[in-house]
Amino acid sequence: MKIRTTKYIIKEGFINAYRNKLMSLASISIVAASLVIFGMFLLITINLGQNLKGLEEQPELEVFCDHELDDAQVQTVEQAIKDNTKIQGYTKVTRQDAFDKVKKMLENNASVLEGMDESFLPVSFKIKLNKPQESKQAVEELRSIKGVEKVTYPQQVIETISKLSYWLRLISVIVIAILLIVAMFIISNTIKLTVFARRKEINIMKYIGATDWFIRWPFVIEGIIIGFLGAVVAFVVISYGYSAIGDKVNSDLIYSGISFIKFVKMREIGFEIISLYAIIGSSVGAIGSVMSIRKYLHV
Amino acid sequence: MVEFKNVTKKYPNGTVALKNINLKVSKGEFVFIVGSSGSGKSTLMKMILKEEDASDGEVFVNGYNVSTMQRNEVPYLRRGLGIVFQDFRLLPNKTVYENVAFAMQIVEAQPKEIRRQVPMALALVGLSRKANVYPNQLSGGEQQRVALARALVNNPCLLIADEPTGNLDPETSWEIMKLLSEINSRGTTVIIATHEKSIVDALKKRVVAIDKGEIVRDQEKGQYGDEDKDYKIHH
Ligand SMILES: Nc1ncnc2c1ncn2[C@@H]1O[C@H](COP(=O)(O)OP(=O)(O)OP(=O)(O)O)[C@@H](O)[C@H]1O
Ligand SMILES: [Mg+2]
Repeated sequence: MKIRTTKYIIKEGFINAYRNKLMSLASISIVAASLVIFGMFLLITINLGQNLKGLEEQPELEVFCDHELDDAQVQTVEQAIKDNTKIQGYTKVTRQDAFDKVKKMLENNASVLEGMDESFLPVSFKIKLNKPQESKQAVEELRSIKGVEKVTYPQQVIETISKLSYWLRLISVIVIAILLIVAMFIISNTIKLTVFARRKEINIMKYIGATDWFIRWPFVIEGIIIGFLGAVVAFVVISYGYSAIGDKVNSDLIYSGISFIKFVKMREIGFEIISLYAIIGSSVGAIGSVMSIRKYLHV
Repeated sequence: MVEFKNVTKKYPNGTVALKNINLKVSKGEFVFIVGSSGSGKSTLMKMILKEEDASDGEVFVNGYNVSTMQRNEVPYLRRGLGIVFQDFRLLPNKTVYENVAFAMQIVEAQPKEIRRQVPMALALVGLSRKANVYPNQLSGGEQQRVALARALVNNPCLLIADEPTGNLDPETSWEIMKLLSEINSRGTTVIIATHEKSIVDALKKRVVAIDKGEIVRDQEKGQYGDEDKDYKIHH
């Protein structure tokens, strides 16, 4: 195709989309809404995956002492752990270690810790078991030690999350397929309106000897424009929404001591998401428009 | 240039519009197709453009076998033809110049070519001064002249006009027909379907008369003819 023809086709595509403002806007909103919902599922899945990795690196068990215990009491707890035959080894996490870790996790937001010291944090022990299959029993035994506040048991969480993310993925695929098909039909209808408005022109073009693709391209471009703009809107919504929620939840998590769960940063995955959005949006638009012009091309 | 060989056209609803048509139009000819309403003139024209396909027989246009050609070849067949309609079919949101230039744009002509050819075509139909006017600001005759310029701008070797003067008053019809005749004298083959008895009679060109889907008369320097007489010949 020649450059001036490409220029003509793209210009006509924009003119079409602009002339049909209202329907174009409606279609853009539908595409955007579908992609936002898609994005939510996607981000949840990404985060689950990411945190699963983090969880797997966690010790099998972590025993948290009551944060009011004095050193002697901590010593007894440590002795009890040492004496347990199910345990292969352990590392002690002092209050200072825990405090440093929190500080590091907060990064730029470390100022919230100003005026605080490590005393609000508990001493904990990371534990490696002899046999992972004994973990349930080990948890029971460790819980019964005097001065132990809680025992976290990441393997259990991992299993739950794995199951959850499987179902989430399945549901998201179905939901997204439905949404995209709906979006495609709406784009197709929008373009049908343009095609209908320009049917005289299409008819004349056919008589003068325009090829089918020459006639079709501007409408395909119109569909791509709609799909792409929908993708851009969706990306803006999802990246703002996610950053706001992510920051809030991250700091909440840290306060509640669940240090191993962390939201993936938008800037780490932003490019992948916008590319994916652009590809999906444009293809949905292009397919929708090809669907709508088939009928009118037969002269 | 154009040849119909034993062509029959039956529409899907059962109407037989053309029966066993044999017709040959050579390069440079000027042919009137005449006949009463419903006799099959438009059907014949449409088959030249491959707007309708023959149910039986073969149609050759400009070296193409229209009956067997692929759908994706049709645009290239039509690029060799200039087509004029009774209702002009101009684009209302484009100026006269743009309407004519459009025909060249869609065949991907060079911009330089377009800038040279469009004024020439407009000059030929006498509309150079109205180049930047929109179709709704023109009279019917002027609009048809724009349509003619558009049909001619790509230098087709065959011009097809189905009742080009059907919407025009007698005087304007005469201007358009004279213009068509002039275009023919420059070498373009012209085929016109028409009801304009006085013009057909005055111009003394080849006349092909169709009645109820059959060619009943084909005369050089012919007359529009007497409908009663044609009817008798046929029955
Ligand atoms: N698309 C169609 N489907 C079915 N029948 C058709 C169709 N087009 C035309 N006909 C029939 O074919 C016959 C010939 O029609 P055609 O339009 O060729 O006549 P015509 O000579 O051009 O008439 P007019 O002078 O009124 O324009 C008529 O009986 C008409 O009803
Ligand atoms: Mg007719």
